[in-house]
Amino acid sequence: MSNYKTTVGIEVHAELKTKTKMFSGSANHYGKMANTCTNVVDLGYPGTLPTINEEAIRLGLRAALVLNCTINKHMHFDRKNYFYPDNPKNYQITQNRTPIGVNGYVLIETSKGPKKIRIHDIHVEEDTCKSIHNESISLLDFNRAGVPLVEIVTEADMESDEEAVKYLEKLRELLLYADVSDCKIEEGSMRCDCNVSVSKTDKLNPKVEVKNIGSISNVGEAVRYEVERQIALYEKGEVFKEQTRRFDDKTMSTILMRVKETGNDYRYFPEPDIPFIDLTDEFIKNTKDNLPMSSDERRKIYINAGINEVNVEKIIQNRNVSDYLSKFDDINLVIASNLLLGDIAAYLNKMEMELDDTKLTNDKFKDVVNYLDKGKINSKIFKEILDDLMETDDNLDTILDNHSIKEMGEDELVSIINDVLENNKQSVDDYKNGNSRAIKYLMGQIMKETRGNANPSFVNQKLIELLEK
Amino acid sequence: MSKYLDLSIKEINDLLKSKKIKPLDLVLECFARIKENEDLNAFITFDEENAIKKAKELENVEVDNLFFGIPIAIKDNICTLGLRTTCASKILENFIPIYNATVIDKINEKHMIIVGKTNMDEFAMGSCSKTSYFGAPHNPWNKDKITGGSSGGSASCVSNRIVPLALGSDTGGSIRQPASLCGIVGMKPTYGRVSRYGLVAFASSMDQIGPMTRNVFENASLLNIICGKDHKDLTSADKDEEDFTRFIGEDIKGMKIAIPNYFVSSVVSSQVLDKFNNIVDLLKKKGCIVDYVDIDYIENAVTLYQILAMGEASGNLARFDGVRYGYSYPNPKNLEELYTKTRQIGFGDEVKRRIMVGSFILSGENAKIYYDKAMSIRDDIKKSFEEKFKKYDLIIGPTTTDVAYDIKKEFNDPSKSFLDDVLVIPVNMAGLPGLSLPVGFSCEKLPIGLHIIGNYFEEAKMYKFAAYLEKELSLNLDPRSKAKRGDRYE
Repeated sequence: MSNYKTTVGIEVHAELKTKTKMFSGSANHYGKMANTCTNVVDLGYPGTLPTINEEAIRLGLRAALVLNCTINKHMHFDRKNYFYPDNPKNYQITQNRTPIGVNGYVLIETSKGPKKIRIHDIHVEEDTCKSIHNESISLLDFNRAGVPLVEIVTEADMESDEEAVKYLEKLRELLLYADVSDCKIEEGSMRCDCNVSVSKTDKLNPKVEVKNIGSISNVGEAVRYEVERQIALYEKGEVFKEQTRRFDDKTMSTILMRVKETGNDYRYFPEPDIPFIDLTDEFIKNTKDNLPMSSDERRKIYINAGINEVNVEKIIQNRNVSDYLSKFDDINLVIASNLLLGDIAAYLNKMEMELDDTKLTNDKFKDVVNYLDKGKINSKIFKEILDDLMETDDNLDTILDNHSIKEMGEDELVSIINDVLENNKQSVDDYKNGNSRAIKYLMGQIMKETRGNANPSFVNQKLIELLEK
Repeated sequence: MSKYLDLSIKEINDLLKSKKIKPLDLVLECFARIKENEDLNAFITFDEENAIKKAKELENVEVDNLFFGIPIAIKDNICTLGLRTTCASKILENFIPIYNATVIDKINEKHMIIVGKTNMDEFAMGSCSKTSYFGAPHNPWNKDKITGGSSGGSASCVSNRIVPLALGSDTGGSIRQPASLCGIVGMKPTYGRVSRYGLVAFASSMDQIGPMTRNVFENASLLNIICGKDHKDLTSADKDEEDFTRFIGEDIKGMKIAIPNYFVSSVVSSQVLDKFNNIVDLLKKKGCIVDYVDIDYIENAVTLYQILAMGEASGNLARFDGVRYGYSYPNPKNLEELYTKTRQIGFGDEVKRRIMVGSFILSGENAKIYYDKAMSIRDDIKKSFEEKFKKYDLIIGPTTTDVAYDIKKEFNDPSKSFLDDVLVIPVNMAGLPGLSLPVGFSCEKLPIGLHIIGNYFEEAKMYKFAAYLEKELSLNLDPRSKAKRGDRYE
């Protein structure tokens, strides 16, 4: 069976993070009451005309740039004609002849090493209505009608489920970090359709399009299922026509929707209601210059700061954490990321909150990280005061006072150490005679005196310093 | 009965300003005329109640502009908030828009009074207004004759002095051709001069709203009001404000006029050509320089029009599906039946024919063979016109190949009906402004129009030329006085 070669191509629709719709001024909001974010243009009312959302063009351009595409500077829109109730005008305004970006690529890391997945094109278009089918009736929600989208079409470059998943993870990361889309698959703001075929030769067999896949990992499942299903059919000597199937996540299988008899005839023609759009060099440069920092640039910063690889990936996967870290220029990123991924993440998880919902100000966070860094407090104390950090307006020093935790100044610590050394001359002598266990005893005494308010490693360092005097 | 509506807008304005009459007098007179002339079938919907209400409200408002309180009729493919807009189609028979077209907002700002919606070819598809679901309007000069189309109702009611002003729309001659056949002034402005927002689209790259009036000055004045950049219409042009009447009254001596050879070829009937040649002689006498020229591909304009306009129309009319508004086939078995029956019953034959032709032309490989080719020839026509306008002020010809024909006449070949429009369609292909001016009558007293084509955004120059001829000819253009003796018709 392994002599079959798998070929996968993927189409992704991502909704753009704009305030208003692609071709009308109504709001682009997810989760509002049905048909409240809509107007006569979205409804395809007779006599209405499209306008252009410049922000959507900018985000489309951003996406094209991060996908390394060649930009179509002189571009226009086209009409794609087909009848369906979720398509209010019965044509969709999209880009067919002059997509905003062409010939790009996404670089992925596979188990066999890095690989370029070529992007055929990326084009800007409008979303359709959301339809809800009951037994006898269908309901339409026009809130989604006209929401700006980019459709990103790859070449058939992926050769396994692993590569398909890796491509989608990377694509999602790129779009997310470019602030193009929030890429929430569960809310439909990122949707993946994949085309799968298997063949023993270089000649491609008919492809199967799988729609309605609800997560990136399920894309992997769908590809795996299709590869096995198609190979089994060929092994039985069966042939099949190009077809569209949908993924069923209950059975983790694909179900036939329709067989394509002939190629779809969308009767494309240039949209006469929208003049050509010229993306000026200045606009392109400005968009390029204002791209948010990419995930790979951020990775570099974290690795250079000494954060371990596991945590680096955790940060990248959590854009909020990464953005939060970017607010501080000179703190210990290892300590900061440990807090954010550890105790703070656990707290937020427990309380079902976001960082923004808490009272942890930037100043407080910076103080905490610095105190920990300088050994003024330790992680045990941090745990003790965490609730207060998150829930009160008090600053760090006040919180420490309230907990009767004295910030252990260096002078105070030195004087405690000196007292302990004075009162334990025997142990000092033992140390000087090479008894290494003596230092443990001394440490224990010092920590007792400081009631645990000192950072052990800092105490240890100071203690040795004073003993060596 | 009063006869205020026989006066010029300027005269009516003076009477309103001096409080000798009220807007209500005009509205009542207008509705009396509408009712007297119901046999013309010029209107699909009247709005007497609201018109009277509006007129009464205006009694407390200062007369602030030339068009204050003047009744106006609107072609029934322009959306009017709360007032039925049918496009003369069964599919929109009970359609009441929830928004105003931009031109309607502009008309309301000037306190004009909309009296009703005028008859037309269904979705503006036709040249005789006979494809209307509500039956054809009649030509006031001879009720057995067509008005032309598609703005036939607007032409008919202005011609017979029911209203002084109307709006039409012109995709392939639909303002100029009926204006010519009914003996009024009709202007299709430069593409982009007037916002299309709220005009139910037929062919988006050609559609343009324009004024239809009794004389040149009122036409130019009405264009002053309805034009302008509209952020709701990306194809509307951003031009400095100008007064289109500003050159009216100036001499035309020295103007350079081109006549395309095709416009005086054998496609034109002898009675129209004779009249046109008289005008050419007059122009020469008045010091115009007149040359005969060739414009590339204008003889193919109708073919291009059939490809491009039908293609665009097939998309524009797809939205009428029975799902959201308009006629919807009751209790369909399934989605397919909802679509097919709604459209089969809702659209008339000509509309269905054009949708089918358009769909075919855009289908698969045809798009490249026909549509793309047509677009590139369209560019060539445009360039050829532009070339001519480097040398000439205006291009002229007859508006129509013949005068209005019998309303009962049927064409067995649907493509022949476009032949009425061979002289007007090239202008829509190029996006240029075109105006039809009445310049005389046939021996059976049917109006003949002169087609004046200007360079892009040079409507003011066209109005100057038209107004000069209008004054020079001083024709009696009131069909109601046709029986009277002593008037100049020839």
